[in-house]
Amino acid sequence: MHLLPRHFVFIGLFLLIGITMALDIDVDVKVSPYTKQMHAYIDSIPEGSTVIMSFDHEASSLPEIRPIALAMLRHAFSKNIKLIGVSLYPEGTLIGYRLMNNIGKEYNKTYGDDFVYLGFRPQYIAAILSMGESIEKTFPQDYLGYQYNAIPMLTSITNYDDINCVISIADGSLTTHWIEYGGQFDIKILGAVTAAMVTTYDPYLSSNQMTAMIGGLRGAAEYEKLFGMKGGGARGMLAQSAAHLYVIFLIVLGNIFYFRSRKKGAKN
Amino acid sequence: MNRQIPLVVCFSFGLMMFLQYFSTHTVARSLNLAILDYWQIIFAFTLILGVVSYIKVNMTKISRGIDRPYLIVGLIGMISMPIMALIWGIKADSPFMWMFENVQAPMASTVFALLAFFVASASFRGFRARSTQASILLGAALIILLSRSNLPIPYAENLSEFADWIRNYPSMTARRAILIGIGLGSLTTSLRVLLGIERTWLGGEN
Amino acid sequence: MDISTIVAGLLTLIIFSFLYKDNPFYKMAESLLIGVSIGYVLVITWSNTLMDMLFEPLFQSGKLILLIPFLLGLLMLGRFSNKTAALSRIPIAVMIGSGAGIAIPTMLYNRTIKQLTASVMPLFSPDGTFNFAGIVVIIGLLSTLAYFYFSREHKGKFGLFAKVGTYFLMIFFGTTFGYTVMSRMSTFIGRMEFLLSDFLKITQ
Repeated sequence: MHLLPRHFVFIGLFLLIGITMALDIDVDVKVSPYTKQMHAYIDSIPEGSTVIMSFDHEASSLPEIRPIALAMLRHAFSKNIKLIGVSLYPEGTLIGYRLMNNIGKEYNKTYGDDFVYLGFRPQYIAAILSMGESIEKTFPQDYLGYQYNAIPMLTSITNYDDINCVISIADGSLTTHWIEYGGQFDIKILGAVTAAMVTTYDPYLSSNQMTAMIGGLRGAAEYEKLFGMKGGGARGMLAQSAAHLYVIFLIVLGNIFYFRSRKKGAKN
Repeated sequence: MNRQIPLVVCFSFGLMMFLQYFSTHTVARSLNLAILDYWQIIFAFTLILGVVSYIKVNMTKISRGIDRPYLIVGLIGMISMPIMALIWGIKADSPFMWMFENVQAPMASTVFALLAFFVASASFRGFRARSTQASILLGAALIILLSRSNLPIPYAENLSEFADWIRNYPSMTARRAILIGIGLGSLTTSLRVLLGIERTWLGGEN
Repeated sequence: MDISTIVAGLLTLIIFSFLYKDNPFYKMAESLLIGVSIGYVLVITWSNTLMDMLFEPLFQSGKLILLIPFLLGLLMLGRFSNKTAALSRIPIAVMIGSGAGIAIPTMLYNRTIKQLTASVMPLFSPDGTFNFAGIVVIIGLLSTLAYFYFSREHKGKFGLFAKVGTYFLMIFFGTTFGYTVMSRMSTFIGRMEFLLSDFLKITQ
């Protein structure tokens, strides 16, 4: 077996994450203002209001997205908020359906009365704009094939005017389209996104085009703390912190080698 | 003629969508909804087009003997999904859902997880303070990573607040400038497309 | 251990084997992933979109107006032959035209104007303190825009100002890199959690 330098970096990361996960030590995370803002908004939604939860992500980001989605679903169901699930990416369709069903059952919620899953629509810009005109015309049937007007909780829902806010659970730039195209209808947009995307959305948060945003596994851990539960976010925090320190160590080590070789080069 | 008609169609639909933005009239709203429906349906056909293209390309490669075993596995995977959906449906606990949850999702997320290793490797090999700009980049990255590490160190709170400040102001404003740049670029490209100046989307010669 | 966990666990390990080097098992799994993903998109698009939005209302409810998008969709499939490829330009024109038409007011108002408006902050806050962040935002925005302005040579004072823009860009890239590391590590942690607790039963 021939090992290259990069293999040692890989082995180090594998061992570090493996060991820290096996240790199962709770890390006390400090809740950021961003997560507090998101939690406070969901908390302020009046009971019985309807919220759209859009699963705008792919299966590849599921390990990061799942804890965020679960924390938000639990909070929403515990507040008796009615949820409409949609997906603007094909891969988010089944994930959203499964998560909503599982958490709905956990809180004894009834499909059709407390939550509904409308499914997937292609061409996200057209889908977002179309729902602004009429959700029924955009989704004549739900994911399970029930007619829109046969679903009790949807009888009073026409378009975004009857919706409190949209929570876009995204791993890419789809939340941008919710903000810019959905924003035309004055609907509040909240983002639950992967950590890699938070800096992309910061200008929208700053301009108040986005009401609140949480990002990544850490965001999930913070949200879980505020909600008072231990989930996938909290479980991964020790490993996450260790991984950050490992990357910092690698950057510093790489720079030490670089400056030493530069010094040697100058001497020669 | 092959190019004239699409240009006229493009202009007409573009004009209709542009004008409806400013109108609350029932006719404008209905027209808008109809066009949005057409848009989604055509887009669904483009997805079908992509799937059929994948089959065609793979069949050609298989007949030439390039990577035959792998491509056959890919085709079997592709064909098995619609067959399962057709026989057992796509609802919870169907074989289609099982394939998605136990084959597709684990593999897709693990492929994505591989990036963690390449990011670590790149941090060691390429993230050097070679210039002022590179040093600023490195400094910002280190502050963010350190502040999000939950370390029980002195001034951890201040570090976290400083990291938030970097994110909220200098980082955000640079991203905002990029956003505005993209926005203005999209705006002018859209105008060029509607006016028929930008025609690359037509492709081909005739 | 159930069959689902075994399958998912083995496939996860096969994908991780790429970290040592490319190998036939990885290639096989990669091909399977591509195939299954395409099959999945086909099914969801067919059952959740074309059936719901087109075929059922058209053929069961008799909404004949839907013949228009159906015909446009069929023209899209004209790309399969060189003789009919030009026909696909019509549905492409519908999509491109609609997209461009709606993008003009959206990009102008919901992106450019709203972002510019948000960049102008009061120099002093209500309690009389100087708003340093407001200055940072406006200098950062203008200097970064100056860096992307290529119609004038980046020399002299303008060049210096544009250089300040590159510093802001570097801060953005550094911040994004930090968050990207967090994101990638989270994904890996998620997979490790599955391997250690569900597949190998090492942790709870």
